[in-house]
Amino acid sequence: MREKSGSRVRFGMMALLLCALIGASPAAAQEMTTSVVDIHQGSPLSDRARSLGNGGYELQNGTFVSFNQWYRAHWVDMHVDLLTQITEDTGILWGFGTGEEGEKYRIEPSLKLGFLTQMHPSPNSTLSLSLTTTIGGKLTEKACEADYGDFGTYSVNCRLAASRMAPEETLKYLVNAKPESQHIWLNYRVTF
Amino acid sequence: MSRSCLKFGVAAALAILSAPMASAQEAVNADEMAALCHGGGLSTCVSATIPAAGTQAVQGWMSPEIGAAWAAGYKGKGVTITIVDDFSSTSRFSGNFGVGTQTQRHGEWTREEAGMIAPLATIRSKDFSTGSAVGLAPGLNVLNLSYGMYAKAGYSSNQIGWASEEASIISYATKGTAVVSKAAGNDSVAVGGITNGQQDYLDLALIGKPSAIFVGALSTNGTTTNKAQLAWYSNTAGSNPVVQSHFLVVGVDGGKTGLYGTSFAAPIISGYAAIIGSKFTKATPTQITNDLLNTARTDTLANYSASVYGKGEASLSRALAPVAIR
Repeated sequence: MREKSGSRVRFGMMALLLCALIGASPAAAQEMTTSVVDIHQGSPLSDRARSLGNGGYELQNGTFVSFNQWYRAHWVDMHVDLLTQITEDTGILWGFGTGEEGEKYRIEPSLKLGFLTQMHPSPNSTLSLSLTTTIGGKLTEKACEADYGDFGTYSVNCRLAASRMAPEETLKYLVNAKPESQHIWLNYRVTF
Repeated sequence: MSRSCLKFGVAAALAILSAPMASAQEAVNADEMAALCHGGGLSTCVSATIPAAGTQAVQGWMSPEIGAAWAAGYKGKGVTITIVDDFSSTSRFSGNFGVGTQTQRHGEWTREEAGMIAPLATIRSKDFSTGSAVGLAPGLNVLNLSYGMYAKAGYSSNQIGWASEEASIISYATKGTAVVSKAAGNDSVAVGGITNGQQDYLDLALIGKPSAIFVGALSTNGTTTNKAQLAWYSNTAGSNPVVQSHFLVVGVDGGKTGLYGTSFAAPIISGYAAIIGSKFTKATPTQITNDLLNTARTDTLANYSASVYGKGEASLSRALAPVAIR
């Protein structure tokens, strides 16, 4: 697990480096320039994973089990968004997310693709439209193995293992969530 | 009464286990709506009216652990609790389980209480005056016995010629085919002890049975910061390790309900057993019994001693929790 986290950090660093190089490329590629549009860590799914860590329960012997240990990550999902300009008014939007992983969940790496186009209804106004789609980036919650003594050992939802719910029923409540897969952005700007 | 075969005269020997200070009893006309099953054979039937079954609210007299008990919708579903009790006498008394003051028979009270703890359990009523065998329903069965069978002390339980009713109950507890929740008694003596020359032979017969639990009463629900004491009337586990290992206590908050006695302790364990059974649907009655016994708490009790509290205060949340998780 620690190795995985480490490789994810290295991946993130490499991504940053790549971004810096690409961002510096306009001078090299005069007709197709690529710019970094946004770099940020965290996402709605990251927040959701973190929120799963709220709470806990006691085992049969009274030992408190906190969910927090299962739903924290050493590396928070980093997203890098880039724009490669093709013509004066069109460009390709692309980017990636590094994903993140905790002991009981994983957000897989993601790839973002799309385009941006703009037009000028008047000399001092710009109408922009962008459409992006995201591939991957799914949040998957992992199951726990709970030992119920004489009742046996079950694969369970870690968070619901001590609930009144039958062990096998708890698996229905494992979180499986997809990121926002498509995003349309329309912008009209007037300069005066 | 012969030495080898002590036959109980049922009507005379049955003793319901509400404490003497239970609310004023009054005799009224028979309740036509009471769900009764008279006659021979396996005379168990499903109750037609359970006053509080639709009232699925956590009441002040319940353990704080019940507060979270129903969050996932599992409230005893798929489990049958059979209340063996008085559903036919003219003796009634008043109390309030938080749904308004009611005046009803002993069995109606214990039935209502069990139904409030495990709202989705099937509650059956078996009038104990019939003496006929108690039948089991498909699935997990829990039998609630908030009564005792008293007779002159000095006999051994195998000298008793049991009626079909008690014989069936003892058989289920022996074979582990039903969880048997037995009120410990209200004589402030050890389970099976002698009071005024009398003994509860049903207690004696259930000692050492794998799926039997004796249930004593605490005056309140215990917490680690506000530890509970045994109610003044409650029987204790006593010095017998076999009894101690099958003895639990729960809070009977008579100050809120007006109802006192281990009669109202046993239905809480019956309800807990039903909730556990609705979670672990393949569990046997003996496994559920052991789960309740093994997860009882002693840190919520004042001056814990096995001879007083047995295994300790039943903890529903711990009974439902894993031993370990990874």
